[in-house]
Amino acid sequence: MPMRNRTIHFFGLFLFLFGVAVCGCGKKGEQSVTFAVGGAPAELDFWRELTDEFEKQTGIKMDLLRQPTDTDLRKQGLVTALRSGGSDPDVFLMDVAWLAQFSASGWLEPLDSDVESNQLDTQVFFEKVLNLIDGYDGRLVALPVYVDGGILYYRKDLLEKNGIEGPPQTWRQLVEQAQRVQEEARKTNANFYGFVWQGAQYEGLVCNWLEFAGSYGGGIILDGSDIELDTKENVEATQFMSDLIHKYGISPPNTFTEMKEEEARIFFQQGNALFERNWPYAWALHEGEDSSVKGKVGIAALPHIAGKRSVSTLGGWHIGMSKYSDAKREGFEFIKFVLSYDTQKKLAMKLGWNPARRDVYADADVVELMPHFVYLRDVFENLYSRPNVPYYTVVSEVIQRYVSGVLSGRMAAGEALSEAEKETRKIVEKYNPKQIPNDE
Amino acid sequence: MSDITDKEIKAACVFISPLIVLIFLFILVPVLGTLLNSMFQDVAFLDKQFVFLRNFRQLFADSGFRQALKFTLLFVLVSVPIEIVLGMAFAMLMNTHIPLRGLLRACVLIPWAIPAAVSGRIWELIYNYSYGLANFIFTELGITTEPVNWLGTSLGAFIAVVIADVWKTTPFAAIILLAGLQAIPVELLNQARVDRANFLQVFYKVVLPLMKPIIIVALLFRTIDGLRVFDLIYVLSGGGPGGATTSISHYAYKYFLGGDFGYGSAVSVILFMIAFLLSVFYVKAGRFMTGQV
Repeated sequence: MPMRNRTIHFFGLFLFLFGVAVCGCGKKGEQSVTFAVGGAPAELDFWRELTDEFEKQTGIKMDLLRQPTDTDLRKQGLVTALRSGGSDPDVFLMDVAWLAQFSASGWLEPLDSDVESNQLDTQVFFEKVLNLIDGYDGRLVALPVYVDGGILYYRKDLLEKNGIEGPPQTWRQLVEQAQRVQEEARKTNANFYGFVWQGAQYEGLVCNWLEFAGSYGGGIILDGSDIELDTKENVEATQFMSDLIHKYGISPPNTFTEMKEEEARIFFQQGNALFERNWPYAWALHEGEDSSVKGKVGIAALPHIAGKRSVSTLGGWHIGMSKYSDAKREGFEFIKFVLSYDTQKKLAMKLGWNPARRDVYADADVVELMPHFVYLRDVFENLYSRPNVPYYTVVSEVIQRYVSGVLSGRMAAGEALSEAEKETRKIVEKYNPKQIPNDE
Repeated sequence: MSDITDKEIKAACVFISPLIVLIFLFILVPVLGTLLNSMFQDVAFLDKQFVFLRNFRQLFADSGFRQALKFTLLFVLVSVPIEIVLGMAFAMLMNTHIPLRGLLRACVLIPWAIPAAVSGRIWELIYNYSYGLANFIFTELGITTEPVNWLGTSLGAFIAVVIADVWKTTPFAAIILLAGLQAIPVELLNQARVDRANFLQVFYKVVLPLMKPIIIVALLFRTIDGLRVFDLIYVLSGGGPGGATTSISHYAYKYFLGGDFGYGSAVSVILFMIAFLLSVFYVKAGRFMTGQV
């Protein structure tokens, strides 16, 4: 008898704990809005302040779901949550490169009706960004929060010292200027290189590669069976990237192993480089108090080959709402708040980010604090988007692998792109919804 | 047998039932779920449909997967034997009566106690081209005049991750093997010495045969762990250059991230099958089932 009692107690305890665990997970609060966002500590503090202010203004309760800094990890967190169909997070930021995947997966709540009924004016955003990215199947599924594009940073003082009329317009000029200045600078700094950019095997490599390819008159087209990747222009551009490291010696040997945004920024900021390709965020840091290049930096459009035009890869983050959200009305209020003139101005003033609203670029305070914004506005009117397809991540993996193979000297550019195109073709055949059903 | 009563059997069932439930929930269900999922076209943005072995057929035609498979197998083949041999050496050292033995045991364990992602970062800083410790030492000693880009070639990156993994997991092998060493009866070793066996003879004729089951356990753990290596390499080399150090787990992760859960599951299933077959092989080799230890 005591045995049975103990058995019952034991099972009872087990069920109780199990029940607590299950109930704990499913517990529901009021209709608060969960906003998922990641980034550096300073960025998260900014979002915290913003959600507090929004709570005070509207009385809508906000939960800030802090995500990591790393882009892939942020994406992983959202993919897991959205695939499970849970009601949180309600609102989140997405990198431009994921938007097609998220919207094609049906995870995003269309915003058109809310935009119309709330009279949110989408004319204020960069038109190209909005058109390229935020629409899916004729519906508006996201709105841009801030935009990014690759630009060239250069050392005004070093060009002047060497009597060079800069900045370079063409890649040829960039190589010549870099070689000249590098030779001179090496006399006092053995670690000096002409040009740093992002060449490690990760998403940033594709952004850089697209800029080289585009400025050679190439690029990538993924449109059903029409695939263009292994073209003469792209092969030349890829070869040129490799030449920057191995032939001209103006990009450091660790370009393809270590150089991501921060590595390139720090390298340049320590005074070890003449040119740097980076996103606009680097400007505020280059001009920071502890920067050894403060006041010596200029920005320009990236070079191109003669007869072609400069190309910037479109980056940046967009805000969207989960289809499974249980606080859609409140969530949209928050979206409107993030995209308001005031918040967008704060984004520029406090974080040095580039607002998606064009009107902020004319704001007197912003222009005074960040004179380069006037120039950036022109860059952002002319951006080159990564292929806006749901299976982009998989294509990107292939491009990264083969371009990295070329940069490490393991493969010739022609061979690599021909292989990459073959693999891309397989991927497109596999994932293009129109061709899939009857392929078995 | 007869001294075990029905009551005791019942009690035993009660006590192991939570474990059975846990194994079922957290091992069997995910494994079977992944296996099932690998036979579906499970892409978030396409219709879900049963495709049987299509994912696997595509997998074997996928050069990225073949490269990851080759890297992972080579990685295990090279790193695990080094770890076991070094682990054995450390275990024997820790088992002798030397001064500061407690301190030595603690020190040897440090790399194992450091999380893999942190180890990855440590080694990344050591191999770093511009300010890494390795380049500093090599140029200071005059072995090289120019800094070396250690992770820049496929071979270099491979050796770099093997070194990092050996550093990190040798202590684990050492601790398991030390437990085995301590289980060897002192009388046997004394008897061997009375018989005037030298050190090597004692090692090969007495220690190794007695240690065989425990060595196989260490091999088994290290092989399975090595096959699913992810964090160390993810942080250290990011799978580069040109995908030369992308492991199978890393490759599966990329597909999960890209929204193709069916294909990612298929990659995981292959990984599971390799690990499973090797485990069966080890268990057979160790003859654990016959109770002959």
